[in-house]
Amino acid sequence: MKLIVVLAAALIIIAIDVPYLKRNKLKKEPWVFTILLLIGVGLSIAYTFNLPLPNPLRGINTILQPLSHYIYELLT
Amino acid sequence: MLENEKISVHQFRVLVTFFTIGTSILVYPSILARYAKQDAWLVVIISIGIGLAVIWMFSKITQFFPNMNLAQINEKVFGKWLGKFFTFFYVLVAFIASAELLYNSGTFFRLNLMPETPVEVLHIMTALLLVMAVRIGLETFSRAAELFWVIFILLFLMLLFVIPEIKFQNIQPVLENGVKPLLFPTLILVSVSTFNAIYLLMIFPASVSNPQGAQRAFYIGLIIGGMITFITTILAILVLGADLTARTRFPSYLLAQKINVGEFVKRIEVIVATMWFIAVYFKLILYFYACCLGLGQMLNLKSYRPVVLPMGMILTVFASMMFPNVVQQQKWDTEGMLMLSNIAGGFLPLLIVIVGYFRRRKA
Repeated sequence: MKLIVVLAAALIIIAIDVPYLKRNKLKKEPWVFTILLLIGVGLSIAYTFNLPLPNPLRGINTILQPLSHYIYELLT
Repeated sequence: MLENEKISVHQFRVLVTFFTIGTSILVYPSILARYAKQDAWLVVIISIGIGLAVIWMFSKITQFFPNMNLAQINEKVFGKWLGKFFTFFYVLVAFIASAELLYNSGTFFRLNLMPETPVEVLHIMTALLLVMAVRIGLETFSRAAELFWVIFILLFLMLLFVIPEIKFQNIQPVLENGVKPLLFPTLILVSVSTFNAIYLLMIFPASVSNPQGAQRAFYIGLIIGGMITFITTILAILVLGADLTARTRFPSYLLAQKINVGEFVKRIEVIVATMWFIAVYFKLILYFYACCLGLGQMLNLKSYRPVVLPMGMILTVFASMMFPNVVQQQKWDTEGMLMLSNIAGGFLPLLIVIVGYFRRRKA
């Protein structure tokens, strides 16, 4: 059921955007659009089936931790 | 990138005000009170002062590089590849920030108004409104912002009905522990309301009809937004007390529940919810617009519009999975996001100003 919703959303997006892309005969835009849409559909399907998705925020937090701890110690 | 849309100075001022208010009226009084206790209102005043200095730095950038937006400035200052890298960084931060706002609005509605609706549905509903506005374009949503500004002010005046509940013991003693506890919350508020205003440079010199007047509008918008944040914070402290403000997740919602005029006007907290949703919606639009426009410019697309809908899909999934629990969000707010906005809104603009200054001296 959830899968159908995701695919329907993707189809609606295609129905809205593809005529615009075709009409203007653009070169680069269809590729960007397709890649982003594939990422979006992939992530949505992974999310609906509760697959483990990597959380990039964890990584960013770990990288910035020395800096943020230093500033926290400095200001409190 | 051929975006020929222009907005008026007044519309720009309204956008700046909404951007400054954003989350700071519903969520931030609690975070400020957690660190500064009963002096949270002082934090707001200090951060308006610092914010004006930050805006001065941003307006210097717009004087050095007129008729360009942030992505173009990046490429001009840092060269093609490094500039694209920095634009990518800005796009990433704008994406994370808009996902967090989406998460915040979803959580707020789920906790207070619609406890039985799955949070994903709330995210999808808000995201639909969001992609619609961003796709239609800058001019249209600026006009909508102008209209909603009037409604916002009317609703905000309703909050003042809480004044009879004020207890002045709640803010005493002022500056009990000295100035030191105020520093870290000031950094948080400055980074969330002014450092992040760097994203307004996506529209400011290039798409505003009168850049001279828009510079003044930038300051005025910040001051109005700061005043509204100040009034909400001091009311929360005066009515609820520092301890309760720090413990509640949404203090101004609780504040509105306290309103009781002659046993007749009461339970009007949904008004606060509406008001907050308007402010957050426009902040969300500005972040997501900056994200899509920056992505389009980074990839040299002719228009940013084909990017909007797929990005909206990714945004919805990301907003639903980004925080497994509230503790993670608090950690992220005071560590990761704080540093990201300091780098994006404090460090990089400073670098741009320095480079711009030397370029002008050489020329």
